[in-house]
Amino acid sequence: MNDIPRKPAVFSVDDPRLLAAELEAAERPSFDLVTAAPDENLPAVAGARKRKIHWGRIFWSALSGLVLLALGLAVTSLIEELYARAPWLGGLGLALAVLAAVALLVVTLREIIGLGRLATVEALRHRALAVIASDDRDGGRALVGELLSLTRRIPRLARARAGIQGHRADIIDGRDLVRLAERELMSPLDLEARRLIIAASKRVSIVTAVSPRAAVDMVFVLINALGLMRRLAVLYGGRPGALGVLRLLRQVVSHLAVTGGVGLADGVVQQVIGHGLAARLSARLGEGMINGLLTARLGLLTIDLVRPLPFHELPRPSLNDLAGTLFRQAESAGEPPGRPKSG
Amino acid sequence: VAPTVSDIIEQARLVARAVADFGGQLVHPTVRLGVTGLSRAGKTVFITALLHGLLRGGRFPVFEPLASGRIAGAKLSPQPDDAVPRFDYEAHVRSIVVERDWPQSTRQISELRAVIDYQSASGFMRTLTLDIVDYPGEWLLDLPLLDKSYERWSADTMAYLHRTTRSPLPTQFLARAATIDPFAPADEFAAIEAARLFTEHLQLRRKEHPTLSIIGPGRFLMPGDLAGSPALTFAPLLLPADRVAPSGSVWGMMRRRYDSYRDAVVRPFFRDHFARLDRQIVLVDVLAALDAGPEAMRDLQDAMVAVLDCFRVGRSGWLNALFSPRADRILFAATKADQLHHSAHDRLQAILRQVTDGAIARAGAAGAEVDVIALAAVRATREALVRGDGAGLPSIIGTAVPGEWSDGAQFDGTTEMAFFPCDVPADSTRGGDFRSIRFRPPALEQTDDGIPALPHIRLDRALQFLIGDRLR
Repeated sequence: MNDIPRKPAVFSVDDPRLLAAELEAAERPSFDLVTAAPDENLPAVAGARKRKIHWGRIFWSALSGLVLLALGLAVTSLIEELYARAPWLGGLGLALAVLAAVALLVVTLREIIGLGRLATVEALRHRALAVIASDDRDGGRALVGELLSLTRRIPRLARARAGIQGHRADIIDGRDLVRLAERELMSPLDLEARRLIIAASKRVSIVTAVSPRAAVDMVFVLINALGLMRRLAVLYGGRPGALGVLRLLRQVVSHLAVTGGVGLADGVVQQVIGHGLAARLSARLGEGMINGLLTARLGLLTIDLVRPLPFHELPRPSLNDLAGTLFRQAESAGEPPGRPKSG
Repeated sequence: VAPTVSDIIEQARLVARAVADFGGQLVHPTVRLGVTGLSRAGKTVFITALLHGLLRGGRFPVFEPLASGRIAGAKLSPQPDDAVPRFDYEAHVRSIVVERDWPQSTRQISELRAVIDYQSASGFMRTLTLDIVDYPGEWLLDLPLLDKSYERWSADTMAYLHRTTRSPLPTQFLARAATIDPFAPADEFAAIEAARLFTEHLQLRRKEHPTLSIIGPGRFLMPGDLAGSPALTFAPLLLPADRVAPSGSVWGMMRRRYDSYRDAVVRPFFRDHFARLDRQIVLVDVLAALDAGPEAMRDLQDAMVAVLDCFRVGRSGWLNALFSPRADRILFAATKADQLHHSAHDRLQAILRQVTDGAIARAGAAGAEVDVIALAAVRATREALVRGDGAGLPSIIGTAVPGEWSDGAQFDGTTEMAFFPCDVPADSTRGGDFRSIRFRPPALEQTDDGIPALPHIRLDRALQFLIGDRLR
């Protein structure tokens, strides 16, 4: 755009063409500028997938359409029958049906929004990686703006957000801006996430250790893991519904299948056994620890998926440093229930 | 070229000093920060702003140890070399903050040490000592003399003087030099006369282009207590390429004086201040060269290549640290970036990359980490947009230094004005109409606890790159 260099020029400060104050004012909140940005970037990510006819999907969609129609028909005929029986019964039925429909709509909407937020978080993470690679200043500013609006409901970040807002007028390059945002916004959340994971793992290992049946602790582990994922997603600014959590679970499990089994096998189990803990404690307690570690591992993988910024400036929490804390606590907490079993 | 005895002695001295430093390093971790830049590149302001930020806890969001609160405090402490004057930090701060004038051009070498108390990420309280040296940028031009014989220097300088078309032209000196027969018997008065004309020419050049006096020797411009001594009374001559200097001739005398200048002035300067750097920042005033035109740009490039060739850079292992220390991080900074709107900073960085291309490649190949940024140690302007055709003119607002002019308008140094300095050309060889205007330091509001932090552009990024990893 600058093919012909424009000449130098001097203006007086009260020249009406000067936009100094307005420029700074426009830059400070900057959310309206920022909301325009995803339109350019998001489709590029989504559009990269190839369009293909999925017959399986069509089958399921058609089938669920049919089921919905049948449901609708059944409800309609039910209401008609109720009317035939007594008008007030019909009215009640209609009201209940409308209420159910509205509730369904709201739930669906929330699920969609939740999924959308998860997708936003993912897109933010990809964009952050791109900005870190390119050091693009405008991209970094837009990214941080979106990050601020994503985290505006998180009360513990009020001070950090104000700090970042204060630096928006400074000239900071894209990569540094992302680092700054990570350090300011993510470090309190990372600490809290760590605490959540440790608490969940501890619960799982204790329940596994004391539960009478394998089936019971399987269910408990699953429910606990889902709860942990949801809490982590909420912590980092996502608000996933049931579908969102299921999607997360799918991603985490597929992730775990690739990296997890191996990682679990080499480092930590060795550490457990090496410590002589498994020999010292009962088999149930050892099992509990393995389950606890699995939960911790799930939690760590979830962080990777729900954290809006990649780990760049701050260290990624590792299973080994969680395990240390976990065992120390699990040992002290787990021994009283373990004693009657071994004794 | 076979090394002379003095070369070998010099190397032995450097190694001995490196070994001694290595021992001290184990007790007190120290970073020797080399601030390199030709005259008027902004060395003094950079050092002042850096120290001010460290001592007062400046606004450095990107400098992690300070931003995350791990730096407990920093204080000035007595410098290690008793023979070197102290860097007059307080006077420079007063000049920038209170009088709103840039510090005077540096006329002598000075040194300062800052001690930073910090807590490492693993929780230990530690200290890091930062040694910084300030010196006249003209002296930097002496460093290329270290590896040059008199004959080589003479041929290079003469070739440059014949080639240059920038005023003032060295006609007087060249006319005089043409009449000197290098094989004639040594004549003290002819030598004094030639040296005087040569020095006068250098002084004139410096007055005309304060930022870019490209040819040395530097002490000819600031002789200090060496003025009039034989070591400063020599000049380049027109020499035949295939002959050797007969003893007792003018040539022989000039060569001896050149050698003693190198041994008495340049080598101690290099040995004391540049041979053992841990980190290096190279400040380049690209904008002034852009303003002065393509030839100035080429001169700047040649000078930077020659100067940067002298430094030891590369990956630093413990063996290297013991016997031949080298800078393992080197930052190239285009200073005075506040003379541009931030949207033009990428162009400025690109031009700096072009100018220092060779040095960057060499440092990268040697394993040193390299970064290139546009920097303003003290930000004297703020930004604005002037509405007009197209996207408008991205301009800056500030108070120009009295006497600066543009567009035929002279500035009185008190009124603020908005200025658009012309688009930065994509290619440094195309001059364009670029105007670089110096602005006065910013007016700062006095707060209750003294002086507020100085505004800057990317000073925190520079600090993070230079010493951030030593404060982990």
